[in-house]
Amino acid sequence: MLKIEGLSKSFGGVAATNDVSLHFPKGSLTAVIGPNGAGKTTFFNLITGAFKPDRGRILLDGDDIAGLSPPEIVRRGIGRAFQIARIFPTLTVRQAVLGAVHAHRNQHRILAKRFPMPGSGDRAEQVIALAGLTAKADTLSRNLSHGDQKLLDIALALVLEPHVLLLDEPTAGMGPEERWAMIDTVHRMWEQERMTLIFIEHDMSIVFKIAQSVRVLSYGRVLAEGTPDEIRRHPEVIKAYLGDEFEASHA
Amino acid sequence: MTRSSLLRDSLIAIAVFAVLALLPFIVPGKGFTDFMVRLAAFGIFATSLNLLVGYAGMESFGHGLFFGLGCYSFGLIMQTFPVSIPVAFLATVGLSIVVGTVVGAICVRLNEIYFAFVTLAFQMLLHSLIIAWTPITGGDQGLTGGIPRPPFLGIRLDDYYHLYLFSTGLLVASLLAMYHIVQSPFGYTLRMIRDNAARAPFLGINVFRVRLMAYVIAGAFGAIGGMIMSLFVSGAFPDFAYWTISGEAIFMIMLGGITVFLGPMVGAVMLLLLNDFVTKMTTHYGLVLGLVILLFALGLRKGLMDFAADLWRDRQTPTSGPRPDTAAKTAASAPARAGE
Amino acid sequence: MDLSALASCLITPSCVITQTTSGLIIGLLLFLVAAGVSLIFGVLKVVNFAHGAFYMLGAYFAYTAYQLSGNYLIAVLAGGIGVALFGLVFERLLISRVYGSPVLMQLLVCYGAILILDDLVKIIWGADFLSFGMPSAFQQLPFVFAGGVVPVFYLFLIVVALAIAGLLGLLISKTRYGKIVRAAAVNPSMVSALGINTGVVYASVFVLGGFLAGLAGGLAAPVRSLTAGMGTSIIIESFIVTVIGGMGSVAGALVGSILIGLVRSFGTIGFPLFTEGLMFVLMAVVLVLKPSGLFGKGGA
Repeated sequence: MLKIEGLSKSFGGVAATNDVSLHFPKGSLTAVIGPNGAGKTTFFNLITGAFKPDRGRILLDGDDIAGLSPPEIVRRGIGRAFQIARIFPTLTVRQAVLGAVHAHRNQHRILAKRFPMPGSGDRAEQVIALAGLTAKADTLSRNLSHGDQKLLDIALALVLEPHVLLLDEPTAGMGPEERWAMIDTVHRMWEQERMTLIFIEHDMSIVFKIAQSVRVLSYGRVLAEGTPDEIRRHPEVIKAYLGDEFEASHA
Repeated sequence: MTRSSLLRDSLIAIAVFAVLALLPFIVPGKGFTDFMVRLAAFGIFATSLNLLVGYAGMESFGHGLFFGLGCYSFGLIMQTFPVSIPVAFLATVGLSIVVGTVVGAICVRLNEIYFAFVTLAFQMLLHSLIIAWTPITGGDQGLTGGIPRPPFLGIRLDDYYHLYLFSTGLLVASLLAMYHIVQSPFGYTLRMIRDNAARAPFLGINVFRVRLMAYVIAGAFGAIGGMIMSLFVSGAFPDFAYWTISGEAIFMIMLGGITVFLGPMVGAVMLLLLNDFVTKMTTHYGLVLGLVILLFALGLRKGLMDFAADLWRDRQTPTSGPRPDTAAKTAASAPARAGE
Repeated sequence: MDLSALASCLITPSCVITQTTSGLIIGLLLFLVAAGVSLIFGVLKVVNFAHGAFYMLGAYFAYTAYQLSGNYLIAVLAGGIGVALFGLVFERLLISRVYGSPVLMQLLVCYGAILILDDLVKIIWGADFLSFGMPSAFQQLPFVFAGGVVPVFYLFLIVVALAIAGLLGLLISKTRYGKIVRAAAVNPSMVSALGINTGVVYASVFVLGGFLAGLAGGLAAPVRSLTAGMGTSIIIESFIVTVIGGMGSVAGALVGSILIGLVRSFGTIGFPLFTEGLMFVLMAVVLVLKPSGLFGKGGA
C-alpha cells in the first residue's frame, strides 16, 4: 500500500503540491482528478522521484521512499507511464519490452552475452499480449499509432511487475472508441496483475465507471476523496471542478 | 532466433583474418601493409567512437584523448621499462580505463553541447601536458628514439609482415569484441538511452552508470588504436593527441555512416585513401580536405552505409512489413536521432 | 611546480601588478572571443567552433591594413569589420544550413572550414610567424606602479576591451535590439510570430560575434605572433570560459575570461609546466560544484 503524508513541493514560491496526505490501499483502483494545473502530474513526479519533495513522506509498505532516485523507486515497485507516451522510437515493440525485462532483472549491463538473455522472451511475450500488441511486436515503436504507443508505454511499466502503477492520462488524445478500448485493457491489466493502480483522468464518464475511489486535487491541495458517488455529490468538487467542466462543455 | 551468434561471428572473424593474412602475398609491397596497419589503428579508433555516437547518442569531440593516451603510454612504457609488448599493452589499456573513469565521471552527466566541449577540453589538456613535459614526452618533437620491440610468442614486430598480422589481428578481434558488445543486453540498454534518456530511469536503469561504462569501454578501444599507431610510427607525436585527430574520426564515422556497425570502417578506408591521394597531389592538404568535408556535410549529410541501409530497408518493407530479422537490423542500425 | 615562487610573487607588489595586468589582457581578449561564442550559441543554438579562426583572420586583416595604412586604429577596425563581413558570408553560406542539425554535424562543418581557413592563411600570408610590431603611438616609456612595469599598450588594451565589454552589456540589456536577441534566445517562434525576421536576427548575431572576434584579433596582433592555427587555443579557452561562466551569459563570459586570464598569468610562476592544465582543473571544479556554470541557469 501507498501512503502519502504531508507531501509538499514548490517551484519559485508557487506551491505545486501543498501538504498532500493520501492513502491508497493495496490492490485498489483509484482515479486522481482535478482541474488543469491542480498538480496531478507533479504529484506523480514526486512519487516516482522525478522531483525531490520539499517536505513530507512517501510510504511504500511502510518504507519512506521520498528523495530516492527514479531507478531506486522503480526497483522498490512503483511503475509509471506518461501522459505523452515515452517510448524508444528506433526499437521494435519486442526489443523495447525485452530491454525493460533485462533492466528489471538487472541484466541490462551484461556485456558478454547476446541480447536477449534466455528466459526473458516468455515474460516479454506475456506483457506484449497483456497490452494487446502481439500482432505489432515487430513494428518499430515510432511507427505505432498514438494509442499503441501509449499501450507500449504502459507495457514497459508493467514489465517491472509493479506493486503500484501510476498512469498519467492513459486516454489522452484518443477518440471515444479508442478510449474505451484502452480503459478495458487497463482494467484487465489491473485484474490480472493484482496491483495498486492510480490513474489521472479527465473524462468523468471513465472515472465514474471504473474507479473504486476518487481523489480530487485543486491548486496542489486535496479537495476531496471518496467513492465516485460521494465525489459526484461533493459540493466543493461541483463548484471547483465539475461546475467549470460542465459549463465549459456546454458553452 | 536466426540472428548471429558469437560462434558464427567468431568463425567469420577467423575467416576474414585468414584472408587478410594471405593478402600481402597477392598485393605485394610495403605500401599495402602500411596502409592496412594505419587502417587498423584508425578503424578501431573510429568504430570505438561510434559506440558512443551511434549507439549511445553521446557526441564526444575529444575521443582523440584516448588515441593520444594509448600512443604515448605504450611508447613510454616500452622505452622506460624492460617489459614485453603484451604487458605494456595491458598496462596501457588499464591506464585508459582509469583515465576514462575519472574524465567520464565528470563528462557523462553533461548535456549534448557541454559533453562535446568538455571531452574536447580534456583532450587538449593531454595535448598541452605532452607539449609542456618535454623531458618525458619530447615536447613538440614527439617521442623519438624508436620503440623497442622484443619478440613475444614468436611475433617479431620489427618485421613488417609480423606487424601487419599483429595489427590486422587486433583489428579483427577488436571489431568482433565491439560487435559483441553492441549485440549484448548492454548494447540494447545503450540504444534505449540514446532513444529516450528521460524514460530509461523509470525502467530502473541508472543512466549515469551505463553511460560511464560506455565511455570507458570506447576509451579502452580508442587506446588500442593509438597503440597500433605508436608501433607504426615507432614513437608518438603530439598531433596524435591534437583535436584534429578527433575531427578526423568524426569525419570517418559521418562519412561511412553511424547507423551500421561497419560504417566507421568504411569511412576510415575512404578517408585514409583520400588522405594519401590528396597529400600526393597537393601541398594544400587542409584546403582540399576541408572542401571535401563541406561538400559532404552540406550535400550528402549521411554516411555511405546509412544510404545503403535505407535503400535496403525501403526494398524490404513495402511487401511484407518488417520481418523479425529485418526489424532487428533496422533497430541495430537506427539513426542516432531518429524519431522524436 | 614552484609554490615558493608563487608565494614570493604574491607578496611582492611589483610582481602582483605585472602578472595581474598580463592576466587581464589575456582574459579580456579572450572575453571578446568567448562572448561571441556564447551569444551565438545562446541565440542560434550553434557551436561556432570556427570562432577561433575568426580571431586569427582579424589579426591577419589588421596586419595587412596596418602594412597599407600605418594606422593602428584603422588596422583594428579593419580586423573587426572585415571579420564581421566574413561572418555574414560564413553564416549565410554554411552555418544557416546546419541550424537544428546534431552538434556533430555542426562541428564537422566548422572543422572543414577551419582546415580551409588555416590553409588559406598559409597561402596568402605565408607559413612563417608574422610579427605586427608595436605601433609607434605606444612606443613610450612604460608606467610604473609600485615597482610593477606596465607598458602603455597594455593599459590601452585593458581600457578598450573593458569599454567594448561595457558597450556590449548595454547593447544586450538596454536596447531594443538586445531585447529581441534575448527573446530570440528563449523563444524564437514567438519572436517570428511578432513579425520579426529571425533569419536577420540570427545573421546579425553572427556578424556581431564576428566583429568582436575580429576586434580581438586586431587588438591582440601587436602582442601576439601571427600564425595559421593561432585560433585553436583561444577557441578551446572560449569553450572553457562558457562552461565556467555559463552558456549564453555575457556577464559569465567576462568573469570566466578574467578568471582564466589570471590563472594563466599567475600559473606560469607557480606551475610552469602545468599552466594550461590549471584551466582544465578550474573547469572541472566548476563542473562538479555547479554544472550549469557560475552564471548559468538550469542544469547543464
